[in-house]
Amino acid sequence: MSTIALHDEHNHDHADHGHHKETLISKYIFSMDHKMIAKQFLVTGIIMAVIAMGLSILFRIQLAWPDKNFPFLETFLGKWAEGGRIKSDFYLALVTIHGTIMVFFVLTAGLSGTFSNLLIPLQIGARDMASPFLNMLSYWFFFTACVIMMSSFFIQTGPASGGWTVYPPLSALPTAIPGSGMGMTLWLISMVLFVASSLMGGINYVSTILNMRTKGMDLWKMPLTIWAFFLTAILGILSFPVLVAGVVLLVFDRSFGTSFYLSDIVMGTNILPNEGGSPILWQHLFWFLGHPEVYIVIMPALGISSEVISVNSRKPIFGYHAMVYSLIGITVLSFIVWGHHMFVTGMNPLLGGVFMITTLIIAVPSAVKTFNYLATLWRGNIRFTPAMLFAIGLVSFFISGGLTGIFLGNASLDINLHDTYFVVAHFHLVMGSAAIFGMLAGVYHWYPKMFGRMMNAKLGYLHFWLTFIAAYLVFFPLHFLGLDGVPRRYYAFTEFEFMKKWLTVNVFVTWAAIIAALAQVAFLFNFFYSIYKGKKAPQNPWESNTLEWTAPVEHLHGNWPGEIPTVYRWPYDYSKPGHDADFIPQTVPFSQTMSSNLPHDFEGNEEAEKIQQDWEIANPVTENKG
Amino acid sequence: MVLSMENTQDIFDPKPKKFIVWLFVVSSTIMFGGFTSYYLVFAASKGKGHGLVLPDAFIYSTLLIIASSITLTIASVALRKLNFSLQRKMLWLTIVLAFGFGFMQFMAWGSMVKTGATLVGNNAAISFIYVVPLMHLFHIIAGLGFITSSLVGSYKNITLAKNKFRMEITSIFWHFIDILWIYLYVFLLLNR
Repeated sequence: MSTIALHDEHNHDHADHGHHKETLISKYIFSMDHKMIAKQFLVTGIIMAVIAMGLSILFRIQLAWPDKNFPFLETFLGKWAEGGRIKSDFYLALVTIHGTIMVFFVLTAGLSGTFSNLLIPLQIGARDMASPFLNMLSYWFFFTACVIMMSSFFIQTGPASGGWTVYPPLSALPTAIPGSGMGMTLWLISMVLFVASSLMGGINYVSTILNMRTKGMDLWKMPLTIWAFFLTAILGILSFPVLVAGVVLLVFDRSFGTSFYLSDIVMGTNILPNEGGSPILWQHLFWFLGHPEVYIVIMPALGISSEVISVNSRKPIFGYHAMVYSLIGITVLSFIVWGHHMFVTGMNPLLGGVFMITTLIIAVPSAVKTFNYLATLWRGNIRFTPAMLFAIGLVSFFISGGLTGIFLGNASLDINLHDTYFVVAHFHLVMGSAAIFGMLAGVYHWYPKMFGRMMNAKLGYLHFWLTFIAAYLVFFPLHFLGLDGVPRRYYAFTEFEFMKKWLTVNVFVTWAAIIAALAQVAFLFNFFYSIYKGKKAPQNPWESNTLEWTAPVEHLHGNWPGEIPTVYRWPYDYSKPGHDADFIPQTVPFSQTMSSNLPHDFEGNEEAEKIQQDWEIANPVTENKG
Repeated sequence: MVLSMENTQDIFDPKPKKFIVWLFVVSSTIMFGGFTSYYLVFAASKGKGHGLVLPDAFIYSTLLIIASSITLTIASVALRKLNFSLQRKMLWLTIVLAFGFGFMQFMAWGSMVKTGATLVGNNAAISFIYVVPLMHLFHIIAGLGFITSSLVGSYKNITLAKNKFRMEITSIFWHFIDILWIYLYVFLLLNR
């Protein structure tokens, strides 16, 4: 009894200490609670995803029907679609902003921001992040970045249009194309805020994971989600600053007349004074971030899938250590492959060969992960929840998109494939669709933890199947366009004889894209409806082992009333032979599971092994156990 | 039970926050690594560096920032010995030296402009000497923020643990930007 009294007293202390008076503003707006910040990231990410998807439908309409007029477009877009046809300048703005939003705002901030914030403290057993204040700041920087990026749609010259990689000179000369003006400036401001947000977030995640794990939670007892978030954050800390360096030089070229990236440029009849710089140097700095960035996008999704697949296969993840080491391998390798984006820049073929080898080596850890997913599924007692379907969908996209990576990583093949729709198809499968599916798996799986209610499973199945099939129908045909040499980022293919035959395929792809977009309505309805009307969630709806499910359904600042639970075992004790339930939470000590303990559980602790042996002698195994 | 309860009490734990400062140092190092690798690749591909004799003012600024690191160390030692007045004096002195450093940087740029090596020109390596030290100067401003917080902490009645914590993160950051400047200076000396 005295213990309980102490707990209550502690609770009281903590409430006084943690949040004095919770007002509407401190709870919902400038919240410093990691769970609320996670929800803020998620909702903002979903809104940005819907916007970016809308943009893609607009340019898909242009690609499918380049000669047709759609009066409704003029209604929405005004002078950017005069006569109901999207202007070529605006088309470039659409693809640029679609890419920027999807890569940075949805799949970086929306994905890492949501799940790192939600799960790191809950799964390692901490009351909050190392610095809740920085965490709050991280969200508001991100939010401001989103607002500034979107504001570029409301200026005379339109948003940035040089592609999401903003290569100079289009990005460095404000008068180059309409989108190089104010739109590009806003893009740069937005990205600086975004990078600041990512760094504040990432630094917080790493510090929290390394310093604030609960008792017993050593690194090798962490769920794979945490490993993935941890390594993702490290990637961000080590690569985003390089983008800042590049952007600073770009800003000086744009605004102060320096020539870091510019040389020998003639605009119209006007010879520009800039001399001595090189646009290739931007590409180096950009892709030194840009390539790790694609792993920043995919690794959290891989971590989420590991967890979801293991829980719903009711089996330990296959090759836990191999999973971690392959994540580490991907992290390290991602820094020495950026040159494969630049094979056709006139790079020394020897250097190209080096980048080719490092690139192809990444296939090894990626394949290790894929096979481990398949081996986890193999003969599992599979529960096809919507989250599980999306996780399996990720594995499918990761394989089909990853295979074409081997083509593109090859320097000689890349000469043909560079800048074609083959590249578009490749990365939309391997990092676009795969990462989105990982994110959706996470949303369906941890929705009960976030909102205390369940999402509707039937709508989830509808959402999955429509999206899964439509995504393949959108991206698979694009490979063939690319093999035929159809270049990406072109406004229309009507001027080229050899590309005319692809018009019908473009019509097909656009219809598939529209279906995929409509399928998201099922998700959006499910998501927002279930916040208020969903079935109330039980404490541990998926019968999962990880720590977050030991925290009460009702959120409270500090996560656990009283003491933070202690961890005794790894998170993947599913269907352990000899145990009556098919899962053993991390908080259950081995002394309570004598019938299922294995010699290696004790990690060489001789005393514990002896106790176990004595117990086994006293309780001989019966035949039909397990 | 009571024992473990005490462990979970939310006492002030500086370790995770100190770690955050270290991680910031790492990311900032990477940024300057990005800058200097730009310079190396630029110089290698063009076959030329900035080609200047660096102004003497950079030597003086280097000496000033080294001196500021020393005064900050004395301030830390003073705090350890609970000599608050010496701590405050040394922090003030560090601020003065930091301003001196900034002043000297501007003097250096001024003398470069006089010789014709301006920010805008046909050699990006010379523009580099303006842009990158300017980015370093922004770090100095951030560092002044840290020093000010230590100073305010020393005047205000905060706990010794918090006072020490502020001094520690100030020291980590300030010594870092000191070393960072020395790195940049030596880099520019070696890669003419």
